This record gives sequence, C-alpha cells and structure tokens, in this order.
Amino acid sequence: MANIDINGLLKNVEDQTKALAQKQFKQYTQQAVGDVKDLLEKSKADLKRWVEELARGEMDKDEFESLVKGQLDVAEMRALKQAGLAEVQIESFVNGVVDIVVNAAFSAIKI
Amino acid sequence: MCKQRNSYFAVKTIVSRSFVAVSACAFLAACSLIAHYDQVAYEHATSAKVDTLALMDKATGSYDEHQKEIEALVTELNKAYEYDRGRSLNKITVAQWDVLRDPNRNLVGGFLKMWKAKGKLSATFIAEKKLQIADAFDQIIGLESGKQKPSEVKQ
Repeated sequence: MANIDINGLLKNVEDQTKALAQKQFKQYTQQAVGDVKDLLEKSKADLKRWVEELARGEMDKDEFESLVKGQLDVAEMRALKQAGLAEVQIESFVNGVVDIVVNAAFSAIKI
Repeated sequence: MCKQRNSYFAVKTIVSRSFVAVSACAFLAACSLIAHYDQVAYEHATSAKVDTLALMDKATGSYDEHQKEIEALVTELNKAYEYDRGRSLNKITVAQWDVLRDPNRNLVGGFLKMWKAKGKLSATFIAEKKLQIADAFDQIIGLESGKQKPSEVKQ
C-alpha cells in the first residue's frame, strides 16, 4: 500500500476549507448586511414622504395604512430571499469542500 | 511493543475519522437544500411583474371596467405560483408568492381587494404602491436568479 501522509492531507483540507469559508461567507454576510441597511434607509425616506402625501390629502388613511403594512410584507419577502440565498451558499460551500477533499486525497496518493 | 500498538490505533483513528469526514461531505453534496435555477420560473416572475405594474396604472379608473384584465392577471399569478409549487425544494419561493398574492395582506392581493372595495384608487397611492410591489417582485426574481445554475450544479 502506498505511504500516505494522512496528517498532511487533513491539514491541507482544513486550510483550504477555512479559506473557502472565509471567502464565501464574508461575501454573503456583506451582501446581507448591505441589504438590511438599504431597507432601513429606504423605509425611513418612504415613511416621511407618505406622511407628507397623507397630510396634503393626496391619499386617504386606508391607502396610507396599506403602504405601511405593505412595507412589512416586503421586508418579510426580503428575509425569505436572504434565507434562500443562504441555503444556496451552504450548498455551494459543501460542494467546494468535496472538491477540496477529493483533490487533496488524489494529490496525497499521487494519482 | 506498547508504543507500536499506540501508533497503530492513532493511524486507525485518523483513517476512520477521514472516512467519516469524506462520507459526510459526499452525503451532504448529494442532498440539495434548495431548488436550482429555473428559466421558466424566472420568466413567469418577470412577466407577472411587468403585467401587474401595467394594470395598477389603471386603478384610477373603475374596478368593474377592468374586471377582465384583473381576472387575467390573477390567472397569470396563479399559474406562476402553481409552477413554483410543483418544483421540489422550493418552499421559500412559494412562501414569497403567498405573501405577494394574499388578499388579506398588502401587496398585489391586497391592492386588488382594495381596488374592488373602493371602486378606484388615488394616483399618488398607486404610484407609491407600484414601487413597493416592484420591490416585492424583485425579491422573488432575486432569489430565483441567485439559485445555482445547471452549469454550476455538481452531479
């Protein structure tokens, strides 16, 4: 049987996996945090404008209420999108780890 | 002798752990968490967005006058929903459609219910609601386009 450096192989897998996790999840986290920041800033500006339009009589109370509640519905849809994109990231990460393990194993047994 | 035995067990443990790790990876890779990208679903959502926003412009006029167009839009939304509901691992997108279509909430379903109840709606409200509903559709479209494309999927 070929002499395989199992410790070296595991260390190689560990290092590459860490690098992959740092790259993939950092990118995703930045995007998710940016999305929430945008939503908060946009919501603040929207609410200010709707109050002014309500005060000018350009819309009635029911319409104003529908916009406020609608904003919460959009926030829920946004959260669902982020949850879905997180699942995509996890799946892509797992596939990346499989590649790392297979490549490290092949290079350890020098095929 | 004892030293040799210890090193034999150490190697055996490492090999077993490696086997478990590799098996776990292979198992996880074989299990998808979420549906992959679907061009038809993407087109349904983008097309429904365009048609919804176009119909909303007409809500300054009477609901009764536009009833046929409203029914056609509801059918289009239902088709998009049913298509997504038929895809496996697609619960999140279906939940998004549920929020968007529900007449007791405040997006497309709620807008059509309000139009019917009031007869017509103010131009300012329609303009604001269009921005909101466009944003809502973008959440469905954004999730679909973020899903793994067939070329990226590992077999």
